[in-house]
Amino acid sequence: MTSRDVHDVLNLPSDHSGAPRPSKKQKTSAPRLNLKGLAREVQNLGGDNPIAIVPEVNFFKKRRFATRKPVAKWELKTFTNSARGDDGALVLRHWKRRTDDGAPPVEGAQDGDGQQQRGGGEGTPASEKREEKPEDSAFAKYNVEVVVPHYTEDQYHSNLQNNDWTKEETDYLLELAKDFDLRWTLIWDRYDFTPKPPGGGGDAANGEDTSTAVVPAPKQRSMEDLKARYYEVAAKMMAVQKPAQYMTRPEFELYEMMQNFDPEQERKRKQFALNTLSRSKDEAREEESLLLEVKRILARTERFNEERRELYNRLDYPATDSDINSFKTSAGLQNLLQTLMSTDKNKKRKSIMPGEGVSPSNNSGVPNSAVSETNPANRRESIAASATSNNHHHHARRDSDARTPATPADPTPTSAAAAAAANKKKGGGAQQPERRKLTQQEEQVYGVSYHDRLGSGPTFRYERINKLYSHKSGQQQLRITNALSELDLPPRLVMPTAAVTAQFEVLWGAVTALVDLRKMSDRLDGEIKIEEAKKAERDRAKGIAAEKEGEKEKGEGGGGGGDGAAAAAAGEGEKAGESIEEGGQTKEDGEKKRPGSSGSLTAAGHKRSASVLSAASDKSSKRQKK
Amino acid sequence: MAQQPLPSSVQPTDVYGGDEVSAIVLDPGYINTRAGFAGEEMPKQVLPSFYGHITSSNRDVFGDQAMYPRADFEIRNYMNRDSVVEDWDAATKIWEHALVNRLGIPRPTPPSKNGLNNKPKPAAEGEDVEMADEADLDETENYEKPMAENPLLMTEAAWNSPKQREKAIEICMENWACPAFWLSKTPVLAAFAAGKATALVLDVGGSNTSVTAIFDGMVLKRSVQRSPVGGVWLSSQIRSLFEASEPKVEVVPTFMVENKKPVEAGQPADARLKTFDFQISPSFRAYEEERVLKEFKESVVEVWRGPGRYLAPGNEDYAKNLPGRVFEMPDGSNQMWREQRFKVAEGMWDDNAAFPGATEEGKITKAQTVPGLIKAALDSIDVDVRPALLANVVVTGSTSLLPGFTDRLNHELTAMFPSVKVKLHAAGLSSERRFGAWIGGSILGSLGTFHQMWISRKEYEENGPGIVEKRCK
Repeated sequence: MTSRDVHDVLNLPSDHSGAPRPSKKQKTSAPRLNLKGLAREVQNLGGDNPIAIVPEVNFFKKRRFATRKPVAKWELKTFTNSARGDDGALVLRHWKRRTDDGAPPVEGAQDGDGQQQRGGGEGTPASEKREEKPEDSAFAKYNVEVVVPHYTEDQYHSNLQNNDWTKEETDYLLELAKDFDLRWTLIWDRYDFTPKPPGGGGDAANGEDTSTAVVPAPKQRSMEDLKARYYEVAAKMMAVQKPAQYMTRPEFELYEMMQNFDPEQERKRKQFALNTLSRSKDEAREEESLLLEVKRILARTERFNEERRELYNRLDYPATDSDINSFKTSAGLQNLLQTLMSTDKNKKRKSIMPGEGVSPSNNSGVPNSAVSETNPANRRESIAASATSNNHHHHARRDSDARTPATPADPTPTSAAAAAAANKKKGGGAQQPERRKLTQQEEQVYGVSYHDRLGSGPTFRYERINKLYSHKSGQQQLRITNALSELDLPPRLVMPTAAVTAQFEVLWGAVTALVDLRKMSDRLDGEIKIEEAKKAERDRAKGIAAEKEGEKEKGEGGGGGGDGAAAAAAGEGEKAGESIEEGGQTKEDGEKKRPGSSGSLTAAGHKRSASVLSAASDKSSKRQKK
Repeated sequence: MAQQPLPSSVQPTDVYGGDEVSAIVLDPGYINTRAGFAGEEMPKQVLPSFYGHITSSNRDVFGDQAMYPRADFEIRNYMNRDSVVEDWDAATKIWEHALVNRLGIPRPTPPSKNGLNNKPKPAAEGEDVEMADEADLDETENYEKPMAENPLLMTEAAWNSPKQREKAIEICMENWACPAFWLSKTPVLAAFAAGKATALVLDVGGSNTSVTAIFDGMVLKRSVQRSPVGGVWLSSQIRSLFEASEPKVEVVPTFMVENKKPVEAGQPADARLKTFDFQISPSFRAYEEERVLKEFKESVVEVWRGPGRYLAPGNEDYAKNLPGRVFEMPDGSNQMWREQRFKVAEGMWDDNAAFPGATEEGKITKAQTVPGLIKAALDSIDVDVRPALLANVVVTGSTSLLPGFTDRLNHELTAMFPSVKVKLHAAGLSSERRFGAWIGGSILGSLGTFHQMWISRKEYEENGPGIVEKRCK
């Protein structure tokens, strides 16, 4: 029974006359809540307006905390700080949220001696609790200390002697450096070294150093002095602990930096800074405006140069030395006109870029009339270029870059046109300079690299190495392999990445250069020895001649001119003989080597050996003169 | 939503800098002595460093409440004008008063009374007695060691002598039995309060104005510059101004006035003064007069903001046209102050503008003015750090609260160093300026990383008071 029914019964006009009943029913019945303790009929009497009867509730609001977890427990925990380095002598206390839920509440937190009793109550003996270590502070890890060089007495005496600095003062400086974590401003500020009077300290080294009875006045040290001394000590101790050649790169850089510290320059810099600081406002403004002016002037010259270059490019008229007779006829003129027309078509917009008037090498020397023949070639080339430029922009660009310096600038209109055409085909020459210049880092990130010229098809990087390798003679190959194995390097790279290959090539170059040098030096040695032997022989010949004269005088005859006889005979002969032998050997070596080494190198070797030979002979002749 | 504070049940997971160990920060100064717990934002106790001494009973009384006119009453100060402790006995007493009596450091409850030992009561009688004895013993011991659980962080002037510092640690360790101690210089802490580790701190305090360069949390000793140009000096300038003005202005402290009637500006006061049947000591009167002058400083005195000095042509005339301020003396006489209120403070900046004080010590030189101090401080340190310092100029001290002070300072500094970027850091809250050093100490003492620095009791016992020189650099 609804209100509608009541309305019907009482013949009252219904305000919802048009609405269909079932939907109405749904609406009314759905949101109504079912109040307890009230008959449905009574409720329905209310109709759309629910009856204002507040149901009786015989309990209060639920207790909020009944279902909640117990309150968070905090406890006064003791802690130590291991960064203090006093073995936990200082025990401080702070409030911490209790973590272990099972433990009963803290009992002894308020104890006088600050002993905290955790997990007590079950009857754990007090001594055990006492032994329990308080936790370490979470902040101890932030204690970072600077490392200053250490040295022993011996090390100091052997490495670090300095006229200006006593050992005590150096010690003092290093101590301050440690105390103030190398903050030089502070070190300099607190630097107050007064040498101990001798005898007073009882320090043996001190007594030695300051033998005078007068207390020396403390030196005024500038910050640069302090720094210079510290870096000196640090660098030297670094080198003592680890020789320079074994240092890693950052270590070595640090070492270098410390070694190259120049207090004088630093002083000058500070003076400069001081001047800058004390500039008046006007001076500062003037300087600023001057700088601006300079910038402007530079920009202007730049623009001027640009314009001039452009002008030159425009003025570069075709210096043709071809015969103009061909153009004297009307047919020739027609031909010329057509050529010009076609070039004009090709260069719709001639952008004048620096170095653009230069043509690719393959059509630099082409005469005018040949333009129709060269154009297709050009086109082909440029198409190829555009194809590559799509894939590897850099390659194409590099290509042309690499080519430009090689070709002599002989800009003819055709070649310029060809270049312009090439540019156009590439998709507009103006596009190229607009391309963003990648920084070195970005290049690395994107793996962009530049190459002079890439062969077609895939290649293996190690093949390049192999090529280098196979170009060498067997002897040299052996030597190079030996050198590489000495360096613990496999002759064939395990992981030939670009960087590794590049490095390897450098190394390879160095090794081959060394091997060549060695060969050279061997040869020179040999030649020098030969020359010496020759000289010795000549000397001996002279001596024999003299002897002969003497013998003649004495009346004794003897004509020992042979090598063997000479070796056996003269007093100095022994030595000379040895050298001859050696000379012979090295000569053999040299001859053995010579045919082995290949190509231009040998030629150079010959040439050089010749010149060396002459030099050596010069030397020997000089010696003879002496 | 993100700004909601963490509920107490949630422990912060990330490491933030704080780790409170209920350390106490004590910041003694010439005018005030500040004390409070580290980690709080304001000192809980600020009491005057002046204390009353009753000569008849030879008794010292501390605190503002005790400073009322009474017989045989003298006002003394345990600090001297250099902001260095002079009277160590009085200092100990006043500090103890501040820390123990007023700060209310929680004393550990003796175990017999803390209710934790009640459970296993049914025991033999003898044991009980024994326990009580023990408790008594504990209690007396605790009384002798009032601060056995609180590390103490104390401040000192940058020019404090080693002897003074040793004395401080001695008192802390011997008298109060602190577990740990640290002595920090006020400019460093003021810089910390401003959130800077490297700063040029200009501290315009009560008895001193000092300029100190702080580099990485340490004082650069060579840079320390100070002059008496502070609040007290300013008071003497005001006195000179009163002397010089026509008619002379008499300073009658409040306690002497019984009742007063309103009078027209510039008219003599119409007030009945109290009579005391005992002698009012000159020190007490001076102390009370200082209070009047302090009020004058707070409500009237202003710093000429610049640009240019006050004495520069035209400026004075301009100042005359500015709206003046009326100040009523405790006795009812009142007067409009116009350009004089600028002139009084001008001596801080321009030695020529200072009133020639009645005494010789009131005179200052050019080097003692604020710009002079800053220049001298900067000149004495390395050129490389100067720009960094000028970009972090921290202004602290209550005398710097004079209106226009920072404006003027900014003008002076930019005029002095035109090619460097000058940036002032002056706290906006007056309390932060007044208690800069204390707040810095509060920050420092509640930092987790600081706890490795404390000089522990053990270290003191092993090394003696000399350790303070070694550690607190």
